[in-house]
Amino acid sequence: MTPAKQQSLSRPVEEAPPARAFSTLLGNPFVQIGLNALVVTASELFLKLGARQTANLNQSLAWTGITGLASVWTWLGILCVILSLVSWLNILRQIPLSIAFPLSNVVHVLVPLTSWLFIGELISPRRWLGITLVLVGLVIVAKPFARIEEKL
Amino acid sequence: MRALPFILIFISLVTFVAGQLLFKRAMETSIKFGFRKDFLKVFLPGVGAMTVSFFLTLGLLQKFDLSFIYPFQGLSVIIISLAAAVLLREKLSGQLLFGALLISLGVIFVSLS
Repeated sequence: MTPAKQQSLSRPVEEAPPARAFSTLLGNPFVQIGLNALVVTASELFLKLGARQTANLNQSLAWTGITGLASVWTWLGILCVILSLVSWLNILRQIPLSIAFPLSNVVHVLVPLTSWLFIGELISPRRWLGITLVLVGLVIVAKPFARIEEKL
Repeated sequence: MRALPFILIFISLVTFVAGQLLFKRAMETSIKFGFRKDFLKVFLPGVGAMTVSFFLTLGLLQKFDLSFIYPFQGLSVIIISLAAAVLLREKLSGQLLFGALLISLGVIFVSLS
């Protein structure tokens, strides 16, 4: 399906010219949910890296988590958290919460997978089962909308 | 005393769900009236609810394992879909509910281990 077709689902009033295909793609709320999930995943990884780097600093203050601010990774993480909130609010402007929120749970697939790939954490069989269930659920929630888009 | 953690988990869930519903309502208001007083009247309580939820969760995490606290977050998927249907009058299909239920279960399994 073309980006223009996706756009027609989300904002029927706007018809973007082909030259603006990229911004049209970014305007699609389902693409935005994917990007939002990537930013949330990045924030979790950055915060974990920041926490890891500062784990041995001043123990008396450690319980507040404030010592984490000594790491650049933590600041990158905070930046991603702010970005993800703004993008989430923008998504809510466009599609129902009862669809957006279940789909946003794709982060529960991305976080374990990227933790496994980039920081060497292990994934247990039970977690693989959970990842599979989330993926099947995502397909079931998203499928009716894919079908509407095909018809347009 | 045993019930206290579950009461706190319940409040953190309710405030999280309330926060999301208020955010959604705020963004709908912003489409009609822009980012002005009417928007802030709904958005700021949303931020408040999210803040309460955040610190309750943080407090719970200091006393319990992530694998005890986090599975309850999985329930938020199904609760938010139902609450959006009832309180925001969003359309809810059987398929959407089934998908949300699988995602809820999946999140619980991911966070248990």
